[in-house]
Amino acid sequence: MPDTSVRIGSLVLKNPVLAASGTFGFGGDYARLYDVSRLGGIVSKAITLRPRAGNPPPRLWETPCGLLNSIGLENPGLEAFLAEELPRMRELGTAVIVNVWGEDPEEYGELVSRLSLPGVDAIELNLSCPNVRGKGLVGENPEATARVVAVCRRATDKDLWVKFPPQGEVLQAARAAQQAGATAISAANTYRGLAIELETGRPVFANAIGGLSGPAIKPLSLRLVYELSQVVSLPVIGSGGIVSWQDAVEFIMAGAHAVQVGTGNFIDPLCAPKLVRGLRKFLVQRGLGSWELIRGCAHRGGISGAA
Amino acid sequence: MDRQVSLVRAEVVENRELVPGVFLLRARGNFSAQPGQFYLVRAWGLDPPLFRPFSAFDLSQEGISFLYAIRGRGTSLLARLQPGHSLTLLGPLGNGWPQPEGKLALVGGGVGIAPLYLAAKAFREADAYLGFPGRPYLVEKFREVAGRVWVASERGQGGHRGSVTEIFTPDGYRVCYACGPREMLARLWEMCRRAGVWLYVSLEERMACGLGACLGCTVFTRSGPQRVCREGPVFPAQEVF
Ligand SMILES: Cc1cc2nc3c(=O)[nH]c(=O)nc-3n(C[C@H](O)[C@H](O)[C@H](O)COP(=O)(O)O)c2cc1C
Ligand code: FES
Repeated sequence: MPDTSVRIGSLVLKNPVLAASGTFGFGGDYARLYDVSRLGGIVSKAITLRPRAGNPPPRLWETPCGLLNSIGLENPGLEAFLAEELPRMRELGTAVIVNVWGEDPEEYGELVSRLSLPGVDAIELNLSCPNVRGKGLVGENPEATARVVAVCRRATDKDLWVKFPPQGEVLQAARAAQQAGATAISAANTYRGLAIELETGRPVFANAIGGLSGPAIKPLSLRLVYELSQVVSLPVIGSGGIVSWQDAVEFIMAGAHAVQVGTGNFIDPLCAPKLVRGLRKFLVQRGLGSWELIRGCAHRGGISGAA
Repeated sequence: MDRQVSLVRAEVVENRELVPGVFLLRARGNFSAQPGQFYLVRAWGLDPPLFRPFSAFDLSQEGISFLYAIRGRGTSLLARLQPGHSLTLLGPLGNGWPQPEGKLALVGGGVGIAPLYLAAKAFREADAYLGFPGRPYLVEKFREVAGRVWVASERGQGGHRGSVTEIFTPDGYRVCYACGPREMLARLWEMCRRAGVWLYVSLEERMACGLGACLGCTVFTRSGPQRVCREGPVFPAQEVF
C-alpha cells in the first residue's frame, strides 16, 4: 500500500488533491453528489470581512478549453461564514482551508486572527483575485506581498498558504512571502483575460477583465510551478487547468506537493475524486511507496532509473 | 436536508428537429425531477468546458426529454446526436415550481415552454398560453394535459398573430407560471401585478457547477444575490423585477 499522504507545514493531507477556492463553495454542494471526505482537502470560497454581493451577470464566459469568470468575491462575509459555513465544513471529514481576501494588510490580519480557530487547518491568503475593480494584485508585487504576509504571520499561528496570480513579479514575491513567514505557496490563480461581444463592441463582463482558468492555461501554470519550486524551499501547491490524474502527476513532477482542482469540477463533477483514485493507482503501478521519489523529478533529469 | 443529485450517462433514444433549429431530445433512464427542475447536460469532452442547463420537458417510464434551440457551440453539438449516442446528465437541480393554490395559468415563449409541460401534467386544469417566433410546436402535447390552450405566433400560425402577452389576460387566475424572453416576463409582471395575480418566473443564466458552489449563476433580487441553480430557477416575479 503506497502512502498517498503529503505534508504541508503542520498539516498532513491524506492525498494531494484539493478542491480549489471558488469552485467548490464550502463543500456541501458537492457533498450532495459524492463523499467529499475522499479529497485531501477543501479550500473555501474567498471570505471577506464584510459580505459582498459580487459582480452583475454575466459572470461566466467560455473560451476554447477555457473559462473566463467574473464572480467578484461574492461571499457571506466572515461572521456568517463562522456561524453557518465553518461548522458544516468541519463535518465533511477532510482538511478545511479557508481562503481570505482583504482590502489592505490590516484586513487580512483581522481575518486570519479571527479564523485562528480549531477546525481551520490552514488559511490561504488570496493575493490574486483578478475580479475586483481598481485594485492592483498584491501578489504581483514583492513588497506588497511581504507586508500582507508579515501582518498575517504576527496575527495567527495557523499555517499560511499564499496564493499568487500567474502574472507580475511572482518569483520574487514568492521569495518575499517565504521570508515573511509563509507556510506554502499556492500557484496559480486565474490569468487576467478579456472577451468582447461582437454585437455591441463592449467587454462581456461589467468589470471588463475576468480570470481565465481551465485546460487552456495548464502549460502556463505548470511552467510557473516548475519555476517557483526552484526559487522557494516551501511546499508549492499547484493549480491551473488540472483535469486528469496525468495533469496532477505532471505538476508533482514539476515540484508541487499538492494540487487544486477548479474548473475540472465543472467539466466533470467527479473530476477530483477520480484524480484521487488515479494518483493512488499511479503509485501502485509504478511501485512507488510515496510521492518523494517523483516530486520535482523534472528538475533532476527525470525519474531515477527510468530508461 | 438537501436533496441528492446524481451524475448519470443516458442513451439518446430520439433527437428530433421540431421546427428549424429547435429539437426535442429523448434519453433513456429512470429520472425523477419535479416540474420546473432542470439538468446539466453534456455530450462532449473538454470543450466547451461547461455543461448546458435544460429544464426537464417530460418524464416517463422510458426516460426524460429536453427541449432546446441551437444557440451556440454546446447546443450545436447536441443537435448532432443520434439514437444510441450517450449523454451525461447531472440532476435533478433547482427548486421547481411551487404547489399552485387556485386557478393556474402557464405562459411560455419559444423554448421557454419547456418547464411548463411537466407543470401542466402535474397541476391539472391549468390553462396554457404558448407563444412562438415561427411555426408552433408541441401544442398537441399541451392539449392532452392542460385545460385550455391558446397559441400565438409571429405570423399567426396555429392561432393569434402576435405575441403571447396579447392573448393572455390575468383575469380569473390566482397564479401564473412563466418562462421565456425577459421582455415577455417583464410585460407579464406588469399585467399580473395590476391584477393581483401571483407570478412565478423561471430564469435562465449561464452555469458552471449547477450545484450552488461557483456563484456563476447569481442574479440580484430584492432579497439579495440568489443562485439561479439553487434558490431558483423559479423566483416570485416581485423578487426579480
Ligand atoms: C468561478 C471561479 C471562482 C474562483 N474563485 C476564487 C476565489 O474566491 N479565491 C481564489 O483564491 N481563487 C478563486 N478562483 C481560482 C481557482 O481557485 C483556481 O486557482 C483557478 O481557477 C485555476 O485553476 P483551474 O484551472 O483548475 O480552475 C476561482 C476560479 C473560478 C473558475
Ligand atoms: S452554477 Fe454554480 S452556483 Fe449556480
